[in-house]
Amino acid sequence: MHFGLLLGLGLWLLGTADAEDGIRILIKDHRFSPSEVRVKANTKVKLLVSNEDETAEEFESFSLNRERVVRGGQSITIFLPPLKPGSYDFFGDFHPDTAQGKVIAE
Amino acid sequence: MLGTFIITWRETIEAALIVGILLTYLNKIGQSKQFRFVYWGALWAVLASLIFAGMSDYLSVFFKDIGEDIFEAAILFLATGVLTHMVIWMHHNAREIKGALQHEAELAISKNRLWALATLAFVGVFREGMETVLFLWGFFLQGGGITSVAPPVMGGLLGVGLGVLMTWLFFKGFGHLDLRPFFRVSGFILLFMAAGMLSSGIGKLVSVGLVPPLMEPIWNTSWFLSERSLLGSLVAGIFGYRSSPSLIQALFYLFYFPITLIWLRRQRHDLAQ
Repeated sequence: MHFGLLLGLGLWLLGTADAEDGIRILIKDHRFSPSEVRVKANTKVKLLVSNEDETAEEFESFSLNRERVVRGGQSITIFLPPLKPGSYDFFGDFHPDTAQGKVIAE
Repeated sequence: MLGTFIITWRETIEAALIVGILLTYLNKIGQSKQFRFVYWGALWAVLASLIFAGMSDYLSVFFKDIGEDIFEAAILFLATGVLTHMVIWMHHNAREIKGALQHEAELAISKNRLWALATLAFVGVFREGMETVLFLWGFFLQGGGITSVAPPVMGGLLGVGLGVLMTWLFFKGFGHLDLRPFFRVSGFILLFMAAGMLSSGIGKLVSVGLVPPLMEPIWNTSWFLSERSLLGSLVAGIFGYRSSPSLIQALFYLFYFPITLIWLRRQRHDLAQ
């Protein structure tokens, strides 16, 4: 049973080890910073989005299939699947004119 | 100003579509005196949206990172359940109607059903309401004087106004359909809305890492219809269309139909006993 637990823990660690340590993206003055994020292709990715503005923003991307509200002062983790090489746009749905960015998988 | 206008216009139409179907349904079965169930459901949803948006800061502490998304997914799943019930008994209603051409009918409706309609109105408005309020609230909080706050807020309110007006006009026409076609078409619309809500709820759980996507994205149909376009955003909001869905979302969307059909057949069988 102990072996089973260790095995499970090991597998779980392996699984999480696949994901890169989170890439930080700040929301400030209704802009993403950095607005261009480079990640390894075909690898699970974690985005750590922190909203330093007072008002809410919605991190949204059609090509990444993600849509999540980040309230003012809040930080969230967005899990991305392994991405094929390419460029994936994201934007802030509440301020789409200024909040724009892209994830480049290479 | 245009930005807020388009967003609130779209969200309002998505919510008003459900409310409109419910009101027209009640009208057609001769139960227009029960409109208040739908109105109360919608009103409470607006209030709940304001409360939730207003309690933003406190809720973030309470809900932590993913609690709110789980809550939103739960609302969507509740909506799916209630919508499916509605589709099934609308189908049943359509079969009850003997005459081929009937504009209206006097059909009884139980208190339970009325509360189901109220719940449906609530979830239909709440799912859009929370986001819309949060969105508009931000402009209020930003401050910066009346000249910078007024345009986006005005745009937002105009969007709501036009959305309500357009939906009202739509149902003025749609309401002229005879009973059977009305039930059939409404049932069809609600069916796809339910499938969309189900897969959207799953999508939320995928994005917080609680549900495995299995494979993501399974395709990218943005060349055909992009959520960026006006039509695309409407179809995405109302029917849950996604250009780059995860496999698990697509599976839930797809399997919703045969499962509902089986449930429908079973209901019909039970009622025939």
